Amino acid sequence: MDELLADFVAETREMLEASESEIIAWEANPADGSRIDAIFRFVHTVKGNCGFFDFPRLAGLSHAAEDVLADVRAGRRDADSALVSAVLGVIDRIVELIDAIEATGACPEGLDDDLIAALAANGPPPDIAGPGLETADSAQHQRSSHEMEPVSPEANAAIAAQRTIRLPVDLLDRVMSGVSDMVLARNDLAHRLRQAGNQPTIDGPFERLTSILSDVRDAITRMRMQRIETLFAGLPRLVRDLSAELGKQVLIDLEGGDVELDREMIEMIRDPITHIIRNAIDHGIETPQDRLSQGKRETAFLSIAARQSGNTISIVISDDGRGIDEQRIGAKAVETELINPAELASMDREKILQLIFEPGFSTADKVSNVSGRGVGLDVVRQNLEKVGGSIKVTSTKSVGTLFTLQIPLTLSIIAGLTVEVADQRFAIPQSYIEEIIHASAKSLDFARLGETALVTFRGQRVPCLTLAGVLGLPGEGGDEASRSMVMLRLASGDLFALAVDNIHSHGDIVVKPLAPAVMKSGLYAGSTLLDDGRPVLLLDVTNIAGLYDILSDARTRVLADALEAEEAQTTIDQRAMLFTDFDGRRRAVRLELVQRIETVAAEAIDIAGDRVRVVIDGVILPVIGLTPGPLPAPRIRLLRLSDGACELLYAVREVNDAIILSGDLKPVHEDPMIEAITLVEQAPVSLIDGHEFFARLGEAPMPLARPKCRLPDTEWARTILAPLVTAAGYDVDQRGEAGSGHSGLTIWLDEEYEVAQALGNAPSGPVIRLRDHPDAAPGSETIYRYDREGLNTELRKQRSVVLANYSRDTTPDKGEAA
Amino acid sequence: MNDLLVMAQIAGRRCAFPAGVVKSVIELGAITPVPRSPDFITGITALRSQALTVIDCRSAMGFAPHDWETDHRAAVVAAAGHSYALVVDRIEDIATGQSSPESVPGGFGPQWSRVASGMIETGIGPALLLDIEQLIAGPDTSVTKAA
Repeated sequence: MDELLADFVAETREMLEASESEIIAWEANPADGSRIDAIFRFVHTVKGNCGFFDFPRLAGLSHAAEDVLADVRAGRRDADSALVSAVLGVIDRIVELIDAIEATGACPEGLDDDLIAALAANGPPPDIAGPGLETADSAQHQRSSHEMEPVSPEANAAIAAQRTIRLPVDLLDRVMSGVSDMVLARNDLAHRLRQAGNQPTIDGPFERLTSILSDVRDAITRMRMQRIETLFAGLPRLVRDLSAELGKQVLIDLEGGDVELDREMIEMIRDPITHIIRNAIDHGIETPQDRLSQGKRETAFLSIAARQSGNTISIVISDDGRGIDEQRIGAKAVETELINPAELASMDREKILQLIFEPGFSTADKVSNVSGRGVGLDVVRQNLEKVGGSIKVTSTKSVGTLFTLQIPLTLSIIAGLTVEVADQRFAIPQSYIEEIIHASAKSLDFARLGETALVTFRGQRVPCLTLAGVLGLPGEGGDEASRSMVMLRLASGDLFALAVDNIHSHGDIVVKPLAPAVMKSGLYAGSTLLDDGRPVLLLDVTNIAGLYDILSDARTRVLADALEAEEAQTTIDQRAMLFTDFDGRRRAVRLELVQRIETVAAEAIDIAGDRVRVVIDGVILPVIGLTPGPLPAPRIRLLRLSDGACELLYAVREVNDAIILSGDLKPVHEDPMIEAITLVEQAPVSLIDGHEFFARLGEAPMPLARPKCRLPDTEWARTILAPLVTAAGYDVDQRGEAGSGHSGLTIWLDEEYEVAQALGNAPSGPVIRLRDHPDAAPGSETIYRYDREGLNTELRKQRSVVLANYSRDTTPDKGEAA
Repeated sequence: MNDLLVMAQIAGRRCAFPAGVVKSVIELGAITPVPRSPDFITGITALRSQALTVIDCRSAMGFAPHDWETDHRAAVVAAAGHSYALVVDRIEDIATGQSSPESVPGGFGPQWSRVASGMIETGIGPALLLDIEQLIAGPDTSVTKAA
């Protein structure tokens, strides 16, 4: 096909897509002249373009439609539903011809007299399905529901305003791979620059290059994105045709058309969405009579909304039809031996509904033309899972049904984790990863049953594969217990463990396709390049699970869920957190006591005598576990323990791990602070006695009274000094009268202070004196008022003094700190 | 006829690739092996940001690759939207084809006949013109690597 012809086909398609929604809107309101304009333009352009080519059929059709539309525009004819259907019939035929031209390069022979006759005034209805069956009633109705037009005029204006050009896709791909190459070259250069040492004259421009490059990369990635509008554009027509065919009345509402996603992904979800819409109109939505008799509006409402959240797009398709009858679903599932009656009885409504996605499931009593052609929702789910998406359904009987699709933003850039086995690296898509368990953690329990390894994870026995075994690499035998585990959760909800030698970084990876001969192994989903340019293979997790029969069918899936729920109730693991304290001893504390791990700067720790306190999130809490003397590190890790009412912090040198207390607990009587001794990795560990700790040391967290600070009563103090003081953690107290009972800090301007001192009413509490001149008089205890650093240091110093005063005043002595 | 050809030695024999399909000739860098893939796939390697599937032509024809040395250079070709790096004994030269590919009575032997489009005369003597698609499809009974 020559280029001119290809352009003609593409242009016609594009115009048609753009006017699709206009056509539907026009049908809803035939009197709307602005709609006709767009359609008129379409047929006019087709007619004009036909002149360049020898396509008499196309020219005849578009000419006839143009004539009729010109009449309507001039007011010589009124648009009624018959006329609309006739015009739509012509447009459909044009599309058919365009398709044929694209396929063969020539226009097929045939007659269009029937369609052209239908266009004539008072002509017979055209002999085509769909539009021809339109009843006057429904057109009437659609006219009356004008206010619910599916596409607002504003939205159309927005589309028109967007200026676009068409580009061949492989040009885009070439630019994209060029940019990827540039990024690799940059990385290489960065590496060499680092080796060469600091070179200010080069580093500056290099930094600029880096930032420009990342901008360009963002832009290129966005080029691959398409608005989901392109998918939505065809839906009003689909809904219109289907509802006409099935004698139902449906209004479609589209939302979120500006959400962007990878153009490949749009193609992947086109069929699933179409399928769900067909299903909704065929099975979900009742006939107008049924709806009226149930007190619903006779026109059903179908809403499709797309939303982006982070790296996923959710598409919600909801209708206000009869909903899904879970009893019918259940009965059908039992009938087709998907589940047995006992299992059905134990399932809740939500679970039963999800059965519609199981293979071989269809409730359609008779196979209709529209849906139930053997391909069912199982295929929809399968296709979505293939691209890393998921689907679920909720429904309320006689109120409606709601399908939620979750799909990743793009096929080609995903978050991934690199793992290592037998000195080779592989990538795993992050979306599958439930948890990573490092080799050092002994919280896993292994069992070998025949050829299968099982690991116990959160009280559940989970099949365990070794990646070396899956890939046939050396080191399969080995001791699984010494390996790191990646717990993978499949879209079906099944969980399995994959043992690897090492776990490396995670980050965004760019997935590239693999040659068919490599894909055939079924183990890989693609390849990607590491930062250093080395290629790694991306594992196809779902397929690997399938090869090892880990993907469960509906029956075991349901059972496993029930089992899981049961186990969750019965087994309570004794878990503890292992840490090393500042005396170098390994200790453990029951995990239930640990709220979280805090890291604080040494300045936040206040040592007053032998009592240590820290301020975290505005509350003062006691700290134990610090050895006397200076603080051992600039930043201290603290375990925040809580018994529900009281809190205390345990300073630790290092947090080791969470462990399961599987060994015997041997009670210890000598040290009341120790509950028991147990063995962890063959070494004794003391388990601290939470009860005793809280009895001795626990304090209800005291909300931190921010120390008060009085400022001089000047404009400068209010506007310039006050923010600084507030930032340093004080409550500003505008000084009214000097010297009245105030235990906080007072800031004085030096000359005022001297006056106050001379008069004998200088305050007793801590004071900061500010002077006006940068240079201090010798021996002066003043700070220059623009010496920000000096002022901050002093404010911090005074703050702990004030705080110590406060806590001495307010907390009763509770005993010695450890 | 009069087409440019990339001449190479494969399994000790002189072969020719149409120069149009050979995008470049590269020094092979690090190759990442692909576990559980057919034997003739050596692995994948990176050419700038592109991933190439490395195919050993010798095993793709059904010969034992270790019987011949390789100069670690490979011809990069594209087929069906994927790029491949073809490992040969050595890349020899660029030559001009002086005849159309023609068959010879008796064929070229079973391994060769499958991948060869025919014999072609060049300035440096006759060579077998190879069909890339056939070559990368691998031997008929591609054996999967033992676990």
